[in-house]
Amino acid sequence: MSRPSLWSRIAGRKELGVFLALVVMCVFLSFSTSSFLSSINLLNVGRQVSLLGIMAVGMTFVLISGEIDLSVGSTYALSGLGSGMLIVMGWGLVPALMAGLMLGASIGLINGLLSTYGRLPSLIATLGMLSIVRGVALLMTDGQPVTVNTRNGALPQVLEKFEFMGQGYLFGLVPMQLVFFAAVALLGWLVLSGTAFGFRVFAVGGSAKAARVSGIHAESVKIWTFVIMGLLAALAGILSMAFLPSGQAGRTGLGLELDVIAAVVVGGASLSGGVGTVLGTVLGVLIIGVLRNGLVLQGVSPFTQEVMIGLVIIIAVAIDKWSTRSRTT
Amino acid sequence: MTKKPIIELIDVTKKYPGVVAMDTVSIDFRPSEVHAVIGENGAGKSTMMNVLSGAIQPNGGVIRVDGKDTVLPTPLASQAAGIRVVYQELSLCWNLSVGENVMLPELARRNPFSRLSSMRAGHAASSVLKRLGMEGLDPETPVAELSVAQQQMVEIARAVNQNARMLVLDEPNSALSPAESEKLFEVVRGLRSEGVSVVYVSHHLQEVLALADRISVMRDGRLITSFDNTAETTTDTLVAHMVGRDVVTSDQYSTCANSVSQIKAPTLELRGLCVPGIFDDVTFDVSSGEILGIAGLPDSGKDVLADAIFGMIGRAGEVYMKGIRVASGRPRHAIAAGMAYIPADRRGAGALLSMSVAENTVASALGKFTRHGFLNKSLIHKTTQTYMSKFDTKVSALGQAVSTLSGGNQQKIILSRGLATDPGLLILHEPTRGIDVGAKAEIYDILKDLASQGMAILMISSELPEIMLHTSRVLVMADGQISGRLSGAEITEERIMALATRSRHHAA
Repeated sequence: MSRPSLWSRIAGRKELGVFLALVVMCVFLSFSTSSFLSSINLLNVGRQVSLLGIMAVGMTFVLISGEIDLSVGSTYALSGLGSGMLIVMGWGLVPALMAGLMLGASIGLINGLLSTYGRLPSLIATLGMLSIVRGVALLMTDGQPVTVNTRNGALPQVLEKFEFMGQGYLFGLVPMQLVFFAAVALLGWLVLSGTAFGFRVFAVGGSAKAARVSGIHAESVKIWTFVIMGLLAALAGILSMAFLPSGQAGRTGLGLELDVIAAVVVGGASLSGGVGTVLGTVLGVLIIGVLRNGLVLQGVSPFTQEVMIGLVIIIAVAIDKWSTRSRTT
Repeated sequence: MTKKPIIELIDVTKKYPGVVAMDTVSIDFRPSEVHAVIGENGAGKSTMMNVLSGAIQPNGGVIRVDGKDTVLPTPLASQAAGIRVVYQELSLCWNLSVGENVMLPELARRNPFSRLSSMRAGHAASSVLKRLGMEGLDPETPVAELSVAQQQMVEIARAVNQNARMLVLDEPNSALSPAESEKLFEVVRGLRSEGVSVVYVSHHLQEVLALADRISVMRDGRLITSFDNTAETTTDTLVAHMVGRDVVTSDQYSTCANSVSQIKAPTLELRGLCVPGIFDDVTFDVSSGEILGIAGLPDSGKDVLADAIFGMIGRAGEVYMKGIRVASGRPRHAIAAGMAYIPADRRGAGALLSMSVAENTVASALGKFTRHGFLNKSLIHKTTQTYMSKFDTKVSALGQAVSTLSGGNQQKIILSRGLATDPGLLILHEPTRGIDVGAKAEIYDILKDLASQGMAILMISSELPEIMLHTSRVLVMADGQISGRLSGAEITEERIMALATRSRHHAA
């Protein structure tokens, strides 16, 4: 029962496969294109995947708890547009952000309640919410684009800080979006692997019945994962609004939920619950980001890019499943 | 008079690693006969049924069909020989109608493009139903809308429709009311008069006496005896055969009985506990330092008792831990009140299978292992290690997934998880099911130690030896009620079996 050696701990980690795939991709791109390995390009990749990554951290919690959330793309749109509209109406930065985040958390709460006490499969509950939330966003904006600028009524000092969140660079180098992603990932990792709450998420997703016998309140654990998911989807939506800085209810974040789930699953999380890590998710997000960036640098057409990304999702998960099976039998 | 047997088993043996499930069993089944097979849990009845159905292959012996040596390598081969088994767990397609279910085997054989006339299916099905005296059942009704008894009839109708020459019924009346049982008996007698050989596997001795022409008793994988059911046969005769004469009586294990005198105020008090349709008005106490056993047949209600006490399911009535009432439906509160629960379904409800040894050990007492909200991993490690060496649990690493461990080691870890909450009461349901002999003995020793240290232990079990040898008091359940209370020298297999088979609708 001695502590395993460092090497065997690394080799035994589930994330190793995804990590190696990422390394292979990076090495290949470094040789085949001159611009990939530049720090500017790498930071650019980091920024491009940040919003996806922030949501993927939340989705990691939801999938491990044995549920799924399809409404995140709509939450992303509604919260971002909501915060944007409030700023245009002359609200201060903090109240506008808070309102957007609370909106996301409330959607998460509804998802959680429907999927637990409401006894609906989360696939169905959040599929409904996907449509409802998108519809509310359309009603709220009347289908018109929302653009955050002083001409529309935003206070200059508020707008400046808002735009810094989405477009700025920390120390003039690291994109702010990447800073948010790093912070969310770090916090998510600490909570999931280091706290009693994270423990309970794994227990509930592994076996809800055994978790109940152990005295874990499965419903509240699941509701909290949905609230966290809603909060992070809102954060990503608000950052997107701050980056562009405009959005339209009919287009913003459309289909984003599938990218988020794909990234988490590539990172090793299981759709049947109980399995997943934040590190794996970050690697999954980076694979998708690097792949997209690399394909662009190689001059591959956007249509082919879609095909390639789909193949990577299937291959990554297939390798994981096949290797698990050979280990257990 | 005796007709030629349809099926004969000659010296059939089935060995599993460490267990002989069937030991040179010779038995025959004749047409126009109801042949009851009785025995305790683990006596080998299910193994024999599975051999007949072709689901498992014996290691030795001969199977003869119509006097010819045969092998039944698959369920299809068994069905071709005219054998049909109706298991206790019904296997109907709940989304299809009665008629479709009855005709299912035939429909399954048809070519995929053949025209399906539901009218015809219904017509054919209704003739079978009529033959069985079940005209009241509309073939168009979805089976999901039927009662369990009616679903069972549909399953029997399906078997009969395939020209079954031998029908094996596994615990057929365990979920039936007296009137429904009577109906079932009529159907069975009707089939007998048509020449079918009916094998009736049951725990309910009175019903066996009422129905069977011949009775075979199994014990420990062997066929003890086969005899014709006459007016002189009584339940006592059957119980004596089932239990055998060489039983260990509880006198030889007086260590437990002695502790009765030291009992203090009750730790757990149940007052009128009730789960509608399962059991009713269950009232008893469990005191510090005693091991109370609950025995009963599978349908007696005992298997739901633990879930009800612990609050896994809704219940009526009152549960008090150390004088404080515990609310229903919230296992967390039961744990907080001092209960620890080791459920029967170890892999489904006991172990957190996807998690590690250490995680399983601390899962119920997380609060003790966190500091400022964060898990204290070194304390978790240390505590787990303590429990592993205390119970001699064999794991290769504390991070090992419990799914890779043997049943005995898993059970010790679940026990550790319960004890980590410092409980006053331990509820165990089938604590040694599927566990090898060595680990069983270790678990009994652990329980004895815990009781001597003042733990109140409630052990619900289907294994009579376990109940007899390791408890100081025994409650027997039958038909959803406590049918008797035994202690000390009264705890014998005969007494327990007699109380367990005392069913309400036949005692009256």
